[in-house]
Amino acid sequence: MAISAVARETVFSLRRQIAKIEGTLPERLQAPAGAPLDADASAYVDLTIVRRGLAAALPDAFLPIGIERLDAALSGGLPKAALSEIHGLETRDAGAVAGFALSLTSLILKQAQGLPILWIGTSEIFREAGFPYARGLHASFGIKPEQLLFSEAPKLVDALWIAEEAARMTALAAVILEIRGNPQRLDLTATRRLHARAASAGRPVFLLRQAAEPEPTAAPVRLIVSSAPATPRDTIAGPLAGSIGRPAFTITIGKSRTALPGQFTLEWNPDERAFDERRGEEKRERAKNPVAVVSLPGGRKDPAAASGAVLAFPAVGSSTADNQPPPRERTAHLGPRRAG
Amino acid sequence: MGIADARAMHPSIDIVEADPEADRRLLEGLADWCDRYTPLVAINATDGLFLDVTGCTHLFGGERAMLDDILSRFFHQGFDVRAGLAPTPGAAWAAAHFCGDRIVVSGEEEALLAPLPLAALRIDPATRASLESVGLRTAGAVMAAPRAPLARRFGATLLLRLDQALGRLDEAVSPRLPVAPLSVERHLAEPITLTEEIERLVGMLAATLKTDLERRGEGARTLALLLFRVDGAVSRIALGTSRPMRDPRLIQKLFHERLAALEQDIDAGYGFDLVRLSVLAAAAFDMAQADLTGEVTDDGADIALFADRIRARLGEGAVLQPVLVESHLPERAVATIPFTEAPRRTTPPKKPVKVQAPTTIFPPERPIRLFRAPEPIDVPATEMPEGPPLHFRWRRALYRVTRAEGPERLAAEWWREASSDPVTSTRDYFRIEDGDGRRYWLYRQGLYGNPQVPPRWFMHGIFA
Repeated sequence: MAISAVARETVFSLRRQIAKIEGTLPERLQAPAGAPLDADASAYVDLTIVRRGLAAALPDAFLPIGIERLDAALSGGLPKAALSEIHGLETRDAGAVAGFALSLTSLILKQAQGLPILWIGTSEIFREAGFPYARGLHASFGIKPEQLLFSEAPKLVDALWIAEEAARMTALAAVILEIRGNPQRLDLTATRRLHARAASAGRPVFLLRQAAEPEPTAAPVRLIVSSAPATPRDTIAGPLAGSIGRPAFTITIGKSRTALPGQFTLEWNPDERAFDERRGEEKRERAKNPVAVVSLPGGRKDPAAASGAVLAFPAVGSSTADNQPPPRERTAHLGPRRAG
Repeated sequence: MGIADARAMHPSIDIVEADPEADRRLLEGLADWCDRYTPLVAINATDGLFLDVTGCTHLFGGERAMLDDILSRFFHQGFDVRAGLAPTPGAAWAAAHFCGDRIVVSGEEEALLAPLPLAALRIDPATRASLESVGLRTAGAVMAAPRAPLARRFGATLLLRLDQALGRLDEAVSPRLPVAPLSVERHLAEPITLTEEIERLVGMLAATLKTDLERRGEGARTLALLLFRVDGAVSRIALGTSRPMRDPRLIQKLFHERLAALEQDIDAGYGFDLVRLSVLAAAAFDMAQADLTGEVTDDGADIALFADRIRARLGEGAVLQPVLVESHLPERAVATIPFTEAPRRTTPPKKPVKVQAPTTIFPPERPIRLFRAPEPIDVPATEMPEGPPLHFRWRRALYRVTRAEGPERLAAEWWREASSDPVTSTRDYFRIEDGDGRRYWLYRQGLYGNPQVPPRWFMHGIFA
């Protein structure tokens, strides 16, 4: 109907205007793919509009994390030109929080090669959680020691000042600001200043907050990170019992304009410098060994399975025969996440 | 005279213990202040200053005017000063100590010294006493005496001092501070107090400096700003730059940060009447050619300037960069040094021929954060004597170990520390995961089986 289409247009333009006034984060309003948009649609079309926030910005505006589900939830990934908060609930989570931020930095450095990163921290957090160790950073995240700059500020005010100065620089690939607790000085104004500078420079600022309660800030995205038990190391003979494999994180979306709260378990692959999502145990088994050990005969049924005598690789036969995940898991977890 | 005698004569006398250190500081302060007349200021003994004013006097309207200016300024600061001006340090010293406020022109040294007592020759009291015992009581008498017997009997020092005073031998006055290759200053009729005014003045001085630097093809690496307060105190503000710099705007920016950081420490008092900007160290400055739009895009310059500004405000250690060091001990394997920009090379650096250490396919796992000092943890029991702990207490919290990798044994660097016992300083590192999935790096220092020195456990790092 014509009236509803006009009304929809009005709402669209108003929302666009709001986004423009808000400035940094233009939103695209998009009807869901399946929704009928033609004239004979019902009058309730407006109610099903999906706010795919942030997606209308430049195509380069997002850092895809590489996990389809998480990227969909964040509608494209983490904003590149923005302040992003990464929280840890306790100081002892500092390894996971820093590790996750560094994995994101590593993803950024894949594109912006050679640019240095600056890690700012207060003396307090470097004393409590340890100073970044360049050898480990190189081995785990591929960040070369020449690319690293550290700045240790005795006071929070100084750390914020350095961060503000650094956030406006385009010569840095990313800025990491690490702060412990909920200091009063790190309020809405301070984070808004950081966010504005990051947005104008087009570089990400990761605000790592160890042992902090979520509080209102200007950052569009807040992720809460904690450690997840690592999987055992893979060997040719299968997982090595008792060993500690790749770093794993549990990510909870604490704040996002587009996503519903959700939880994800990611695993960082230091060799590929990419994230893997850890799902059910059987999926992992399949992903680990996607190619059959013995090439399967094309177009025919596996004769080995038919004869029932040769059982050298029983797992291969069973996985090819039934590689569909349980229906419950597929429908609930793999579909794009929607938020009204 | 003892204190008791002095008190008997003047009951209200104020007794203050001598403080040579404070006297020294005062003299250094005065020497700083004298920097306004010449950069070559040396401290003489405990009570004197040498000023090498060669080539400086015309700036103050001649020798007499300069001497008067020095004397009157010192007088207004409350000092009783005696000064002498002569072609040689020795003659000037004699003039200051025995004549007072006298200007000796070249060639007049002999006439000046002749009537003066032997002390005017700056000789030690023993020599002076023995000279007096043979009847030589004035410098003139010594000058008239034959040289060879004098040298034989009283040593070479006497003749050296005499020759130096008369200008037959050169005497170097070693200045306290290195002389800046370039410096610009401005005398102000009206003293300034506001930081903004100082900053603006720095910009103006830097603009003057720029032409000099351009002529020399150099840029400043170390700059010093000297603020001479009306009442004699001198503030000296130095800062370094990561790369040679000559742009007045940038120099002003750096001093803006430095002054902002020092706001509490600089006391303007009644104001500064002389501001000097000196280049203490300079380096070759290579011009970057701008493209047609007039923009020079150099990320390195941005970072260098950024680091300079941070350091100007927060000190030298505010921006650090890691440097890998060849060592197997984790805390030594990375050193953090203040950020310095590597010199830009036009040709790729030549690789030094050296034996490459064998690279392993699986390098040992290293944590992403390392504690500066390993923190002691409390390990009640291990399953095996040489194995990982079952649980441990760190910062008063109990951690249960679910999985562990290790040990990785690291011995102490015996070539570095001869004294340490190899057994007690051996470390066995374990990479462990606790019940919540956090991964830590622990080590046990020492070995089991030694009842005197039981092994101790430490937390050294955190993994991602």
